[in-house]
Amino acid sequence: MQDEFMLTGLRKPRPELVRQVRVRLAEIEAGEHRTAVRRGVMSPPLRWAACAAAVLVLACAFALPSVRAAAQAFLDLFRVVNFAPVTVQTDRLRQLAERQGIDLPKMIGDRIEVVQAAGQPKIAPTLEAAGTLAGARVAVPTWRPVGLEPQRIEVSGTETLRITGNTASLQRLLDSLGIDDVSAPEWLDGKIVTAHVAPVVRIAYSDGNRHAMLIESRQPQVLLPPGADLAQLADIALRVLGVERDEAYRMAQSVDWRTTLIVPIPSDVSYFRQVDVQGNGGLLIGTVRTRGRQPSQVATQLLWSSGDRVFALVGNLRPDELFDMAQSVQ
Amino acid sequence: MTSADVEHTGGPACASAAGEQSWDAVFVEQFPRVYNFLRYRLGNEAIAEDLASRTFEKAWRDRQRYRRDLSKFSTWLLTIARNLAIDHRRTEHVHAPLDAALEAPAEGTPEKEAERRSNFARLSALLAELSDRERELLALKYGAGATNRAIADVTGLSESNVGTIVHRTVAALRSRW
Repeated sequence: MQDEFMLTGLRKPRPELVRQVRVRLAEIEAGEHRTAVRRGVMSPPLRWAACAAAVLVLACAFALPSVRAAAQAFLDLFRVVNFAPVTVQTDRLRQLAERQGIDLPKMIGDRIEVVQAAGQPKIAPTLEAAGTLAGARVAVPTWRPVGLEPQRIEVSGTETLRITGNTASLQRLLDSLGIDDVSAPEWLDGKIVTAHVAPVVRIAYSDGNRHAMLIESRQPQVLLPPGADLAQLADIALRVLGVERDEAYRMAQSVDWRTTLIVPIPSDVSYFRQVDVQGNGGLLIGTVRTRGRQPSQVATQLLWSSGDRVFALVGNLRPDELFDMAQSVQ
Repeated sequence: MTSADVEHTGGPACASAAGEQSWDAVFVEQFPRVYNFLRYRLGNEAIAEDLASRTFEKAWRDRQRYRRDLSKFSTWLLTIARNLAIDHRRTEHVHAPLDAALEAPAEGTPEKEAERRSNFARLSALLAELSDRERELLALKYGAGATNRAIADVTGLSESNVGTIVHRTVAALRSRW
């Protein structure tokens, strides 16, 4: 049927309309959370624990110049292209924190050798100086909310870690969590994983009341032992995080773990959403708290990767402001 | 944009992790279809924008109620949009099918935008002369890019009936295009 003329009226929605709808949906989600809080669905301590855990987990992904940063990078596996948000029950996070911390690599190797330490972060007076310290040009947002000015630039050094796999240690963790339908793989025992974390640049912005921090780094490099079964490790990691058996297996088998970063998200954070940042996959996470009876946005966090770089933008800005800042980073 | 079939099984309530279509991917893909369905259906840019926005707000609020065993997510979205359009038609009897559409901000070059507006104006004028049912079916078919099967699910008509009406109506419009 010759019906091409019927398609001549199609039109893309205005970008501004699309943006407005996205913001509206985020507001609705935040509102749902506030309603839940008002109804007393979540106790304040638990809510704060969840928010703190979310911030901690995200900070670990890029920010901390410590074992955690490189350890988290273990799952980066060569190149972060996608982010896989995994909802984790706050009880499970608490369990993990009490046992071994929430660093996934510690589950498989209790011996982590710091081959090259990052050292204390250095203050850079200018972007150029930060670029020199980091060994790469520093990308910055070309758009910021009015009044938000750069306050401080920090650069942490290169760090290289060597992690030795320990099957018995992992099995003990699985046993302690009551996970008896998967076993720690024998091939892991004694195998060496080397993680190389590039310098991390952190730029803090503020107008006195509102704050944001852009965190950026080149992609971490990870050397895995020959024959490493990534899907098997991912399956175990997901189970440890509390994902149901069938779902963990399905996800482990279907995701490309060489390009995907697991982002554990406490089950009661306000909202999270996979988004598009400059044509790249990203993850937007928001936490909300109440001040007296007035709800207020606590923290919005946006993670994305672009080419050989990974970024995190965190702050107490509105989601649309943070999103616009991220879109302008170059 | 094409009239490609709308065939999805994922939804926001089930798109919690990689391996399934994320809500953002659903939004990027489905929002233009819902939006164009409403433009074709109502012929008014501003109202189409408003109802498209309300469609997604309602879907987002009700996302826990979506049941994938009952319908595809895209069909569910179109059903919401259709109901909003029906409600709008019930309460608004005066329509300005062309003027509002022509006031929308331009996209692309001025020449292409002028051509696009001209085409939509011609098309909108033709659609305005159709019956409600005919116009709704064409809006679903060409605005939303839905399959006859999906249209049947949304409207309650049989698939063959949808095909017959769409074919006959388009043939009539083509002769006047």
